[in-house]
Amino acid sequence: MKRPVGLLLSLLVSAALCGVGLAQELTLAAAAQPETLDPQVTAATSSFQSTKSLYDTLVEVAPDGEIVAALAESWEVAEDGSTVTFHLTDATFHDGTSFDSADVKASIERIADPATGSPKASEFATISEIETPDENTVVLHLSEPTPALLATLASGWGAMLPSEKVASGHDFGNMPVGTGPFVLDEWVRDSFLRLDRFEDYYKGPVGLETVTIRFVPDSAVQLQGLITGEFDVIDTVASADYGTVESNPDLELVREPSGLVLVGTINNRREYLDDPQVRQALNYAVDKQVVLDVAYGGGEPVGTFMEVGSPWLPDSIGHFAYDPERAEEMLAEAGVPEEFTLDIVLPQPYPTHITAGQIVQDMLGDVGIESEIRIVEWGVWLAEVYGGQHDFDITVIGHTGKLDPTGRLDGYGDPDNNYAGYDNEEVVELLDRAASTSDVEERRELYAQVLTLMHEEAPFIYFGTPFRTYAARANVSGFWITPLLDTFDFRDVRID
Amino acid sequence: MLGYLTQQTISFVITLFLVLTLVFFGVRALPGDPATIRGGLDASQEEIQLIRKSLGLAGPLVQQFGDYWASLARGDLGRSIREQRGVSRILSERLPVTLRLASMAFALSLVVGVGLGVVAAFRQNGAGDRLILGYTTVGLALPEFWLGFLLILLFAVELRWFPLIGYSADPTFGSFLYYLFLPALTLAIPRAAQLARLSRALLLEERRSDYVRTARSKGVRSLALVRHVAANALPGLLPLLALELGGLLTGTIVVEQVFGLPGLGLTILGAISARDYPVVQGITVLAVVIYMAINWLADLGQLIADPRLRYQ
Repeated sequence: MKRPVGLLLSLLVSAALCGVGLAQELTLAAAAQPETLDPQVTAATSSFQSTKSLYDTLVEVAPDGEIVAALAESWEVAEDGSTVTFHLTDATFHDGTSFDSADVKASIERIADPATGSPKASEFATISEIETPDENTVVLHLSEPTPALLATLASGWGAMLPSEKVASGHDFGNMPVGTGPFVLDEWVRDSFLRLDRFEDYYKGPVGLETVTIRFVPDSAVQLQGLITGEFDVIDTVASADYGTVESNPDLELVREPSGLVLVGTINNRREYLDDPQVRQALNYAVDKQVVLDVAYGGGEPVGTFMEVGSPWLPDSIGHFAYDPERAEEMLAEAGVPEEFTLDIVLPQPYPTHITAGQIVQDMLGDVGIESEIRIVEWGVWLAEVYGGQHDFDITVIGHTGKLDPTGRLDGYGDPDNNYAGYDNEEVVELLDRAASTSDVEERRELYAQVLTLMHEEAPFIYFGTPFRTYAARANVSGFWITPLLDTFDFRDVRID
Repeated sequence: MLGYLTQQTISFVITLFLVLTLVFFGVRALPGDPATIRGGLDASQEEIQLIRKSLGLAGPLVQQFGDYWASLARGDLGRSIREQRGVSRILSERLPVTLRLASMAFALSLVVGVGLGVVAAFRQNGAGDRLILGYTTVGLALPEFWLGFLLILLFAVELRWFPLIGYSADPTFGSFLYYLFLPALTLAIPRAAQLARLSRALLLEERRSDYVRTARSKGVRSLALVRHVAANALPGLLPLLALELGGLLTGTIVVEQVFGLPGLGLTILGAISARDYPVVQGITVLAVVIYMAINWLADLGQLIADPRLRYQ
């Protein structure tokens, strides 16, 4: 009798050690759901968080932020920047067709086509011709050097789609077909999205059999689900709950710098706020660390319009230290009257920005500036604050990460359209030069000059970069969120 | 009867036209449109105009209004801007969730509410009556979102009898019960309180009728009396029941959000935020039709249940 029992025990132990018996199924609770699974007609990070697992791009961003090979094994950029040649790897789409150069051509032409209505079409505008000399080679001809092109191709909207389905007008929004590590099993809007492992994934099948992304906007419900084991990973943890997670040995709290730069945008068109001295005073009046700690659960202050950790943020730029006395002096020097009242407009779906706005209101009150808060719905914010009449004095928002500074800064080269109304001819000229320069060091220098000017003239109250905080069950390993793009990567996940 | 039906049909068509016109121009009067929202923080004004064109929203509003009514006349509710598929298909997926939730909540509130009302009326001023009146006061005062969170905390987090959030499409009664009981209870608690109060009041009024006094004086026992009193008093509940049932459709908006149920309530919230005009309009059509049908059925039910109304 001893032997069979011993055998059974050893089998059980080895099964446990190998992780056999534990289904490789992961449930992640996400605060926001995708708008669509068509990566070419959206600008929403929540969509790219899901499409990252369904589609691949020619190049992609690695955990260290570097752009590395993906569906393109290698690439060469012509010396004059007029062409980029990609050599493609062997991959298969979810519908069984092979990935080749015709798919690259069809995908890029689709997103650039005005009929597609893509918010990212302009990023492909300099591609004048796409040549496909053979199945595994694509040559992009550019009308002018486009240094941000690789970053564009590594972003979610650079997804590769099968040419046959593009030609037939396939509904990628509901029935995604990519070469990604997972295929869509079921998507119930407002509830969950379930993905199954794609056995023919070009890098070999991944470890997880299924991934379920549950849409849970409330962070308290997310946490309860993590504690009870209903969720394996949650993407939002309120700062008040850090202690709860950290003291639980079954859970793990992850905090890392995000790709955001948080700002209190000042409407530079308004009286007194058009004076850089007043804007600097507002920067001195606000204690950024308090804003980051209280509203965003921690972070690192910056002094210009680039997130902490970006290789493009010049070391020479410090941040405005909290100095209310100096702020008061500067405001008096600039002739700001005592009855000066600001209109602080805050976006309703983002409670963290609302809290930040309330702190700013309080701190500005300390230096004698009164303000009134208006909370508006997201559609109203986009139409009336960010666009249209720019109806605000101060608003609070976070600008998401970009792999290349062009995406972050280019809008500030257009004084009429940027919502801050920042107007500096030197910046316009520097940005123009940077957009058509291929030399990395020269670009770095040009952007450093832009960022220095944006520090000195302070079109924003710069807060800083918040930590991206998420939590997981302790038996989950290998999950990561891509730097700057904030998308989920499940490919290396293992549940022990 | 024919005259009544004709009058109801005309009133239905006029109401539908007015409500849909109001909703059509109302949602478009909100600042921001689907193109602005799809463009997000990066899009330039030119890009937003291109998106608008690709979504078929570049034409004049009057023309869009005409097109909308033309397709509605063909029975076509249009295509969702956000979900890129037919509105009818979206409604056919979402409506069952809301209907199951609403009917479970309705059944719970009807049984509990009327039951408590009967007990309270026949035990007037007793301990049971006071207890029930206490419940109705608290039940009516509790906000649904708070009540929902409280039930989640107790039954899902502490006791783990029910799921925290979500819904299963598994079409078995057990599965519906598992996922919908807490949300239905959240909706039912205040509604049962309302029904208990009204049925108690109706029954007390009926108890003061001459025939009850006569029956009592002749020694009719209380159970037979309950049956007669209830049969005469409760048709008076029908208009309130119709209102409650119609109100349940709006009540589900909050509860679906708290419990993450993919029904019509969550859909219309998302559609309004995304300015998904066809979906907002489609759900409105459906809500108006359901609401008016319920009211019509309630009127009809009252006519059948109470012969006195037929002679008025």
